[in-house]
Amino acid sequence: MHLTRLSLINFRNYARLTLALPPGPILLRGDNAQGKTNLLEAIYFLATTRSSFARAERQLVNWQTMERDPLPFARLEGHVRRNSNTFQIDITLLPSEKGTIRKEMRLNGVKKRALDVVGQLNAVLFLPEDIELVTGSPSARRRYLDVTLCQIDPTYCRALTQYNKVLSQRNALLKQLGERGNHETLPGRDEEDQLLFWDEQLTEQGALLIVRRQKAIADLDRLGRARYRLLSDQQETFRLHYAPSFDPQRRPLLDYQRPLSLEELLPSAQAELTVSEVAEAFKQHLRRARREEIVRGVTLVGPHRDDMHFIVNGVDMTLYGSRGQQRTTALALKLAEVDLMIQATGESPLLLLDDVMSELDAGRRARVMTMADGVDQAIITTTDWSDFTDEFRAQACLLQVTTGRVESVTLDVK
Amino acid sequence: MQLLVEPVARLIDEFSRLPGIGPKTASRLVFYLLRAPEEQAQSLADALRDLRARITFCSICFNITESDPCAVCTDEKRDRSVICVVEEPLDVIAIERTRDYHGLYHVLHGTIAPVEGIGPDELHIADLLPRLDAMPPVREVIIATNPNMEGEATAMYIARQLEGRDVRVTRLARGLPVGGDLEYADEVTLSRALSGRQTME
Ligand SMILES: [Zn+2]
Repeated sequence: MHLTRLSLINFRNYARLTLALPPGPILLRGDNAQGKTNLLEAIYFLATTRSSFARAERQLVNWQTMERDPLPFARLEGHVRRNSNTFQIDITLLPSEKGTIRKEMRLNGVKKRALDVVGQLNAVLFLPEDIELVTGSPSARRRYLDVTLCQIDPTYCRALTQYNKVLSQRNALLKQLGERGNHETLPGRDEEDQLLFWDEQLTEQGALLIVRRQKAIADLDRLGRARYRLLSDQQETFRLHYAPSFDPQRRPLLDYQRPLSLEELLPSAQAELTVSEVAEAFKQHLRRARREEIVRGVTLVGPHRDDMHFIVNGVDMTLYGSRGQQRTTALALKLAEVDLMIQATGESPLLLLDDVMSELDAGRRARVMTMADGVDQAIITTTDWSDFTDEFRAQACLLQVTTGRVESVTLDVK
Repeated sequence: MQLLVEPVARLIDEFSRLPGIGPKTASRLVFYLLRAPEEQAQSLADALRDLRARITFCSICFNITESDPCAVCTDEKRDRSVICVVEEPLDVIAIERTRDYHGLYHVLHGTIAPVEGIGPDELHIADLLPRLDAMPPVREVIIATNPNMEGEATAMYIARQLEGRDVRVTRLARGLPVGGDLEYADEVTLSRALSGRQTME
């Protein structure tokens, strides 16, 4: 699939932009702070209906508009060609008086919910900060899993939205019960009656998340292994392990607050469980954690506490990887994500690469160029044309970004 | 230095405290009222005063009423063996409009929502139980809370409180909106409509 047209109004530093885009590789050159990354962010926003960048959503709407216009807004519109179909996604961002941003989404002009828009356009984003998926906190890895799975699995997306709503309600309830109750005894009939609904919803939606994550991680493990082998010149073996917050195959252990360690994990990694089996195990673990949850006023077990481990040659990369290994791990994961999307949708996703070449050695640059050549469309930002070979530049579409304006350029190839 | 004279600032503050109204909208309303004919502001003030002076809650069903008990609770022709539990007074009006329901009501004034600090004790749930012991006895309680998460949580909690009582507890059937297009119904609505399907008469 590929984007044929992108229009932006008041988005970040783009007052107004209309850009026709060809299939194949597109190189976007510009100095820092000219709006290269904003352009990738806009496309990723159309794919996922949110910003994956750790920048404030408030500033999505151009600040000059915010000061000047009585009813400021920003608008993103993308025309997508997928198989032989074309369709149009547009998202309008409306800042409210209270400082939040309301999003209105349309598919071919018809108003839709976010979960109906996510996944219409598939995109994989490569950032220099991707290494933080390996080195960072479990929450960064969970967010990554969620965004990736939402793009290819609408059922997951719906369950995740429900799960998060239930989780915040349930946490608020636990806190209230903890403030009021006596902690020596188990909760009474009325407390149990109040928890019943939230427990059922949490375990039902949560079990679906766990089963789908288990499947996706098993796929990413297999695909990532092949990718890592190539990146490391057959030198090292890569494995990806799911570390759910509880073992869905075992009865609760006492120490339920800690994600499972590697050794505990391995035996169950293969088996595929049904949603109702996992929900049943989840219920038992909640039951076991009941008093502690009320004392602490927070839900202690569930997919919101999951993690995953990257293992290279038997070593956990998050804890003991070298910088180079961690970078290769992150790249292998992203490449596996591309493969996963092709496997799930039958089509290659859009590749969005933000200034990743400067971090890579010559061999890996060559692999990135080969990959960008092999998909329907790849949009790559750079500060320097010479990061790319003459052959690559010759068949790519070249665009120059200067202070929120985009112009096509021709380079003299010697 | 105070930029706005006190009565203007005060009314802006009051409007801003209402749900869905931010400071910008509040000032727009206040300056509109300043420019409008004096009778309009007077009539708004009267309406506000009457709202609290003349309206009270029915001590039986907790619907809003001008006289306690309310017109429904005192109507001899209503079927006293059925109670329909709703979230808000507006839901009573919606059900009355169908002209198909002739039983009594019970208004909860909200739904269970822990995030907003609303538990069973903040709603008129406990007040429902003594009503079941009335003569003639109540045969059926229809739980007509909304089909969203908070509504479902409230329905399940009430159903648990009624367990073991000699009363039939029912929930409103959920389905497709009339005039809606099957094609545009979301999956949840559609699967609920499927599971609640009925034999054609
Ligand atoms: Zn009444």
